[in-house]
Amino acid sequence: MRAVFSVALLSFKEGLRQRVLYGVVLAALLMMSGAVLVSGFFLRDISKVILDFSLATVTLGGLTIPLFLAIHMLARDIERRTVFSLLSRPISRGQYLFGKFNGLLLLTGLVMLFLSIGVYLSLECGEFLFGERFFVTVSWNSIFAALFLSFLSVMILNALAVFWSTLTTSSFLATLLTVFSYVIGHFVDDVVRFLQVNTTGVEISSSIKQVVEIAKYSFPNLAAFDVKSVAAHGMVIPLADVVFLTFYAGIYCSLLLTLATIFFRRRDLA
Amino acid sequence: MIQAEHLSKKYTGHLGRKPTLALSDVSLHVKEKEIFGIVGPNGAGKSTLLKILLGLVKASSGIASLNGVSVSEIRSRQQLGYLPENPCLYDSLSVVDHLNFIARLYQLPKDLLSKRMDDVLTRVGLDDVAHRSLRTYSKGMVQRAALACALFTEPDLLILDEPMSGLDPLGRKMVLDIIREYNSRGNTVLFCSHVLNDVERICDRIAIMNKGKLVVTVTPQQLQQEEGDSPLESLFMRTVLEEGSA
Repeated sequence: MRAVFSVALLSFKEGLRQRVLYGVVLAALLMMSGAVLVSGFFLRDISKVILDFSLATVTLGGLTIPLFLAIHMLARDIERRTVFSLLSRPISRGQYLFGKFNGLLLLTGLVMLFLSIGVYLSLECGEFLFGERFFVTVSWNSIFAALFLSFLSVMILNALAVFWSTLTTSSFLATLLTVFSYVIGHFVDDVVRFLQVNTTGVEISSSIKQVVEIAKYSFPNLAAFDVKSVAAHGMVIPLADVVFLTFYAGIYCSLLLTLATIFFRRRDLA
Repeated sequence: MIQAEHLSKKYTGHLGRKPTLALSDVSLHVKEKEIFGIVGPNGAGKSTLLKILLGLVKASSGIASLNGVSVSEIRSRQQLGYLPENPCLYDSLSVVDHLNFIARLYQLPKDLLSKRMDDVLTRVGLDDVAHRSLRTYSKGMVQRAALACALFTEPDLLILDEPMSGLDPLGRKMVLDIIREYNSRGNTVLFCSHVLNDVERICDRIAIMNKGKLVVTVTPQQLQQEEGDSPLESLFMRTVLEEGSA
């Protein structure tokens, strides 16, 4: 546990020193400010537009951690052999990976928390500029649930980034595979539903159906975590869904990290 | 202290590349309180041998242990300091950040931490720049920072892979002095180097590796029988030329 905590803290510190992080946070805050100004063009839908924009910005900001920092911090650790300075200490490879993942999670949490404050400020600014009557449908419970689920989806992507980094020898390939996983995770549900609908005159080959079936069970259903539009409309996100998705994310990440550890243990760090 | 029996390592070839035999039936015994040097041409298998001892690479056959503990167990690295060839530390962090990480890992008490940090940073000559990020360091300074990390826990065993690489003459002298001082406190040092003069000057025993094999092990006394200004160089050249390098 001590080793995991030490590696996590080191990774967190290392992540905080990456300038790209501050660029992303600044860009995200600018986008949110822009959303407040632009929302004035959408009378009646002001709160929805602000929320749509700012919640999407939080997710985008969070996504930079697995897609840029995680790969940079893990695959390059192996590529540049920085990992030697850690694994020559009494740290097992599993502890190293779990530590890295937890460090990334801390970083993701911090960035998303910071941007969530931005969401709150955007709504407050909108209310101040356009009046309270446009914000009566805002549901803070739904906003919190949407932000939390967005955090969980980024957590899964962090685990995927760790997983791909241990399987490949190049940081570029690991980035590519993580991006693919994100895209598949977001659209596999739509493709499955499309295949289930009986469209007359369209013949879909059985091999495509099989590939989609494999993708459905191998990749996480990230679309299920995307409830931004529900929150933007001020609708209720059932607690049971949030609890179920939390377990789903937890189990999926544990499985990925266990597999990553198995592969990483077998790997020669020459 | 270090025991290796019949170690072999074959790297499997990927994408049509031929497999490489990096190490072939190497047996090695390094005694406590000894400075043991390994020399050999590029590709002789020195770094692979060290990486097996550190658990970074798994041997294809044979066994190795540190302090009687198999290298496959993480507790074998509890009392170990390692300086890799071309050390790569986190360049966005400072040497103090690295030392704090090690202190946290080994649960060093706070009072001991600050004293030991001051000692080791002064020893490697980085006390003035300890809080600067490593990306502002020269190659030699990074080497010294990595040495500070290796020495920080005062380990029983120090494994150094090309410790003099990238250092100016003053830096080289400093590293040699540190190795001697460290050894005089009863600790063991295993190191690889291309600089034969340095190895000759400080080692209790020297092994010459070539083509993945440990060809010969000699003591300085045995070296005196060799001819020339640098007996180790004569022996090295003769051994490597006889065998042909990798």
